[in-house]
Amino acid sequence: MASQNMDPAAAAASSTAALKGSESGGSATKGSVSKRLQQELMTLMMSGDKGISAFPESDNLFKWVGTIDGAQGTVYEGLRYRLSLEFPAGYPYQAPRVKFVTACFHPNVDDQGFICLDILKDKWSALYDVRSILLSIQSLLGEPNNESPLNTAAAELWEDQDAFKAHLHATFQK
Amino acid sequence: MEESVMESDPVEMSGPGPHQGVADAWETVTAALVSPGNSLSEQSLSDSLSLLCSQGLGQLLGDWLLETLQMRLSSFVVPEFWSGLKQPENELEERDRIWVLLFAFRTLLERLEPFLGGLDRLRMWQDEGRGGLCVPGAKVLQERAFTVIRALLLFSPSPVLQERVLEFYSRTLSVYMHQEGGDEDGPEVPEVPEGGVCLGCGVPTHHCWCQEALKQLQELSHILSKLQLLEWVSSEAVTSILHKLIEQRMEQHCRGEYERSFLLEFQEWLELVLGWLSKVFASEADGATSAAEVSMTLSAPSGLSSQAGQPASSILKQWRCYMHQFFCRIYVNMRIEELFSIIRDFPESKAAIEDLKFCLERTNQRQQLLTSLKSAFESRLLHPGVHTSDILTVYISAIKALRELDPSMVILQVACQPIRKYLRTREDTVRQIVAGLTGDAEGCTDLASELSRGDPVTLEMQDSDEEGNNPEDWTPDPTDAVPDKMGSKRRSSDIISLLVSIYGSKDIFIDEYRAVLADRLLHQLNYNTAREIRNVELLKLRFGESHMHYCEVMLKDMADSRRINSNIREEESRLSDEEQPPLSLSAIILSSEFWPPLKEEKLELPPLICQAMEAYTHRYEKLKAMRTLSWKPHLGSVTLDVELEDRVLTNLTVSPIHAAIILHFQEKSSWTLEELSGKLGAPKELVHRKLALWQQHGVLREEAGGRYYVVETGSSKEKLERGMMLIDSDEERDSNTTTQSEQREEKLQLFWAYIQAMLTNLDSMTLDRIHSMLRMFVATGPVVTEMDVNELEAFLQKKVREHQLMVSAGVYRLPKSN
Repeated sequence: MASQNMDPAAAAASSTAALKGSESGGSATKGSVSKRLQQELMTLMMSGDKGISAFPESDNLFKWVGTIDGAQGTVYEGLRYRLSLEFPAGYPYQAPRVKFVTACFHPNVDDQGFICLDILKDKWSALYDVRSILLSIQSLLGEPNNESPLNTAAAELWEDQDAFKAHLHATFQK
Repeated sequence: MEESVMESDPVEMSGPGPHQGVADAWETVTAALVSPGNSLSEQSLSDSLSLLCSQGLGQLLGDWLLETLQMRLSSFVVPEFWSGLKQPENELEERDRIWVLLFAFRTLLERLEPFLGGLDRLRMWQDEGRGGLCVPGAKVLQERAFTVIRALLLFSPSPVLQERVLEFYSRTLSVYMHQEGGDEDGPEVPEVPEGGVCLGCGVPTHHCWCQEALKQLQELSHILSKLQLLEWVSSEAVTSILHKLIEQRMEQHCRGEYERSFLLEFQEWLELVLGWLSKVFASEADGATSAAEVSMTLSAPSGLSSQAGQPASSILKQWRCYMHQFFCRIYVNMRIEELFSIIRDFPESKAAIEDLKFCLERTNQRQQLLTSLKSAFESRLLHPGVHTSDILTVYISAIKALRELDPSMVILQVACQPIRKYLRTREDTVRQIVAGLTGDAEGCTDLASELSRGDPVTLEMQDSDEEGNNPEDWTPDPTDAVPDKMGSKRRSSDIISLLVSIYGSKDIFIDEYRAVLADRLLHQLNYNTAREIRNVELLKLRFGESHMHYCEVMLKDMADSRRINSNIREEESRLSDEEQPPLSLSAIILSSEFWPPLKEEKLELPPLICQAMEAYTHRYEKLKAMRTLSWKPHLGSVTLDVELEDRVLTNLTVSPIHAAIILHFQEKSSWTLEELSGKLGAPKELVHRKLALWQQHGVLREEAGGRYYVVETGSSKEKLERGMMLIDSDEERDSNTTTQSEQREEKLQLFWAYIQAMLTNLDSMTLDRIHSMLRMFVATGPVVTEMDVNELEAFLQKKVREHQLMVSAGVYRLPKSN
């Protein structure tokens, strides 16, 4: 996994830096990141997955808005959540910053919208893309990891699905 | 005769008795004025004059003369002239009519001569200062006299005069032209045979009155100029004769004849006609000199009188100008009518275009030309009955012809607008143009040669520094130019740029070319790409390197395939005999990203072939690590022999599905349609269609219940020519690549996905925002080309109608339901 998270361009640049000096490395990297993001957008568009969606917020390709619909059969069914995705310059070798914009009552989401999800942290890999992130978050909604809750109240309430659902829908604010 | 009129005037002058002497003197002087022939001595005339002058009556002489002239004209001379002209009502020979005309004018002159003479004398006396005569404005008198004559005579002219004059002039012209340029007009009758018809006067030669006619012309001209009526009586007739003559001649010589220039020929001929004109206006010079002096010294306010007084040479000069003007106008009119045919014949009709250009610069008829040409295009070219390639051919000719005619290209741009607009509505336009460019089209080879022409115009012409253009050579646009942002500099006359710009985007052409190229490459199996390489190189010069990148990759694929193939062949040849593959298979390996989308068709090939393909793939994988092949079983072609009991069909080249069908009959001699369709994994209709080929060949026959059997023993009629390419008719035009409309559908689908996504995440957006977002984020490639804002708006509106989108106040959003 670690090897995939190494930017080959950066690695190459550092190894040849002694010989040539790395001048235009930064901008070239940025160009290739844009290209990658554009490609990811295309993949997402073509995949036609139901319930997940994302799009650049404005003309800045590094800041996206995402939308996730609660999966059918879960307590989140019928609820739509908006997220923000920010891609660092080192993407895809660094994970994007993803958080909920719509307040989300969930064991692994805190009141600021931060998400505790392994693939967004230490398990991140350059092989993931926007689509897989959104799918992971969508499935996280239905299957929280109650071992390490960010929202303990939610984690405790999770056992009682009916109560959880009632509370969730009562407090849901678009 | 004269006395009876003259009495009226002096009566009031003379008054009662004491002035008896004055009255006598008046009698004497007036009589001397109008009838110089009498015996009056110079002395008594002078005495009478001085007496009159001393009484202050001298200055009345002029007025009296004019008054008398007027009286006589209106009461007697003018009626006499007109009745004389009409007198013998009809039933007259041409010669007699001319004689009547001439006689009428002769009489007129005779009647008026005394007065004109009187005027002259009056002036003479004054110049001599005889008897202290002083007539104020005596020189104006003459002018006034002529004006009176003109006014009274032509106040209510009868059409008879015009008719007669016209007839007479026409006759003399024909006589003149016959004499001067006889051999030119009637080359077929060089010498008039005895008893024949004289070409000049149109009567049997022994009655020829050509000479007489010319004399009469001279006399008439003389009379008219003396009375200063020439301009008034003749101009109209001469103008209409010239018009008719030029028109006639043009009809005879030029209509439908575009391959040579007529300008010089007409120039010479017009000079000849001018000779006749000089006869018509001949004696003007002698008669008019005095009048000319008058008008000049007075700097005559009336332009017409000064015109009448001009010397003959300047009148002729004027007429020459008129004639050229007539000629140009008539010529332009005729050519405008014929312009469509001229354009159609273009390289041959260059002479006509050059003539037209020369004349058009001299007449103000561009607008007429544009209107007429536009409507000719619309009625003769732009309707469903005309094949697109024919429209293109005419358009190309029009480009070539009109850029000769009008180097500013304005006519081209305006007149061809309807063609361009119409071509946009034809579905096969692009294909035809591309076919023309690659030299595939039967009809128009122009485009191919245009493409290979040296010094091509790059399609992205920089509007900046065009160093070659000398600023001194700049000419302003004609006033009828369409104002556009392009400006004259960028108004291109390059045929290929014009054709490509019909759609406003060259991407369409490059895509189409790619499709054509793909077809050609896939249809030939010998990897021979020399011609395609040449075309691609030429197109690169036009469209720029970057646009042709995909095509280059395609060509490189061909070269690579050839190499890989020979590699694999070599490897196979090293195998032992039993390991030899059962059939020789060669593949074209495409880099799928770079080729246009190929038609997807399901087809399962018989195991024998599948094995061969697997073996091939295996070898390829060895050759190129980390890569594999994904086969398109329905593309390609198969060469095979069919061996039957009594006959062998050799070297048949068929499509894979045909081959697969017949191969199945090898293991079992009868199949139903369903079975075959199941085996091949292809729809029944398709299989049914493909079976037809083998039925045509007499290899298979269909029997009741939809079973097909092999015909092992055929009758002799099913002899086949060998080695011919067998493709059933409905497939002839089949292409391996997806059609434009399919590609378009695909593109729209993709755009819709993007639009949905952006509206899902960003709630609501304006048209412009959507457009710019699409431009920014949709990676355009070979299939997906940009969408302009109008196209997008139409698309969005369609979605609104289908309730997949909502719009309010220009802001689009998705419906709430999901």
